[in-house]
Amino acid sequence: MSTAADRERQLALASRLNATYPEIPQWPTPDLVTSEHYWAYLKTNHDQGAQLNAPEPFLEKEEEQWELMTYVLCEVLGWAGIWVSEERRRICNVDVGLPIYLGLPYYTRWLWSVGKFLLEKNHITWAELTDRLAEVQDRYAGGLDGRRPEAQPKFEGDGSKVSRNRNHIEAIGKGDPAMYAGQGGAAKFVAGDRVTVRELPAMFYTRTPEYLRGAEGVIAEASYESPAPEDETWGREDAAPEWFYIVRFKQSDLWDSYHGNRNDSLQTEIPERWLRAVG
Amino acid sequence: MSDHDHDHDHARTVKPMVEEVTDFEVLEIALRELCIEKGLFTAEQHRVMTEFGEQIGPTPAARLVARAWLDPEFRELALREPMEASKKVGVDWLNPTGFGTPSDFYAFKILEDTPTLHHVIVCALCSCYPRPILGNSPEWYRTPNYRRRIVRWPRSVLAEFGLELPEDVEIRVQDSNQKHRFMVMPMRPAGTEGWTEDQLAAIITRDSLIGVALPKPGVTTNVSNKTVPAVRPIVE
Repeated sequence: MSTAADRERQLALASRLNATYPEIPQWPTPDLVTSEHYWAYLKTNHDQGAQLNAPEPFLEKEEEQWELMTYVLCEVLGWAGIWVSEERRRICNVDVGLPIYLGLPYYTRWLWSVGKFLLEKNHITWAELTDRLAEVQDRYAGGLDGRRPEAQPKFEGDGSKVSRNRNHIEAIGKGDPAMYAGQGGAAKFVAGDRVTVRELPAMFYTRTPEYLRGAEGVIAEASYESPAPEDETWGREDAAPEWFYIVRFKQSDLWDSYHGNRNDSLQTEIPERWLRAVG
Repeated sequence: MSDHDHDHDHARTVKPMVEEVTDFEVLEIALRELCIEKGLFTAEQHRVMTEFGEQIGPTPAARLVARAWLDPEFRELALREPMEASKKVGVDWLNPTGFGTPSDFYAFKILEDTPTLHHVIVCALCSCYPRPILGNSPEWYRTPNYRRRIVRWPRSVLAEFGLELPEDVEIRVQDSNQKHRFMVMPMRPAGTEGWTEDQLAAIITRDSLIGVALPKPGVTTNVSNKTVPAVRPIVE
């Protein structure tokens, strides 16, 4: 049982978390929010490319057993047609909010995304999750005492009534995105075409990084056809596949302050909806 | 004044008096149990995916590049049909589900370095990485430090890995942010004339396949020499 002092300590801890831009007060009135700040708050957390960062050491890390088990859990849910990876990526990398994105270990977010997804899609109830957490905590109350934490499912459920996606069936023997070959219509661009990345008012999810928007590049190759991540992430199985392209940019075109070789380049993959022909 | 001068991190390496289950472990166990009880997947599927996850690593990728260095026809195959070339070193990208690993997709490309072009890979959005053939990504590859900086200051970041490339070599950063997975095919270094495939594979480190290092005779380890230990590492 917590004491009044324990509760005060935990509240003091929560109060120390900073989650807003320091130049605008917390809980601002609408007149205090500039358009730049509005879009900066809308920036998807996972879009880390080109943000400022002081150099830090490059560390290796030994993997925890629960981290491997989390990876496996997420992949098995994909295998079984419960979700596609793009749904997980949004829930774990974008929907969590920046303090959690930067404040917890990488696989924590993968794990949280499983819980959130199972609740949102009505596979489990809040009480089932909460009761099971309490039960597992009780199992190891007082310490592990040399034991390794282990899952102990009470039985194997009948999965025949579970709602599953088409992807995990249609991809068999072909793979994703090869399963969509021939469904994207004629490719709008060919290798060598000059394109600009559109500056779309993209809200809530995208995989086209902000650091490329508005930049001009050249099509290196047409990659494959696939539904765009902006559709897959919401589980839209009705989305039409479109062409994706590997686009090459000159570093000196991307950055005002680039001082490397003039030929240094960067390539990334972009769906057709984000590209516009130059000229 | 401390009476010892070694530099390891006590907060991380000293075991607590009572070994407690962590919040992460409790949540993973609870979710896995519920999934199996609800029939979302079977215990057998979980077992198969675990076995798959435990056996992936950089060995087949090193083997693929070593073979490409020795056999021009295989090199052509690797660049033109990387999925077929992967099979020749024991990796079928459709495993273990029949449609591949959900997070790695089925689109793989090998980027060939030349005397005037050096590739380096990153996923600035998450940690997209050619897992089936190269294993799990290193911790640093997933950090904002690497992801933020390599796309914009590639020469500085590579220098931190000890890799300084001449000005006339174009550095090409491949930000792998969609369904393609990429791997670098570095150039065969001088001083390896007459070497066998096994000898060559030994110097093709994971880091050289990411592009933050170059293969070098005598070097068989990755660049970073600091490893954060796990509280409860993977049980084999």
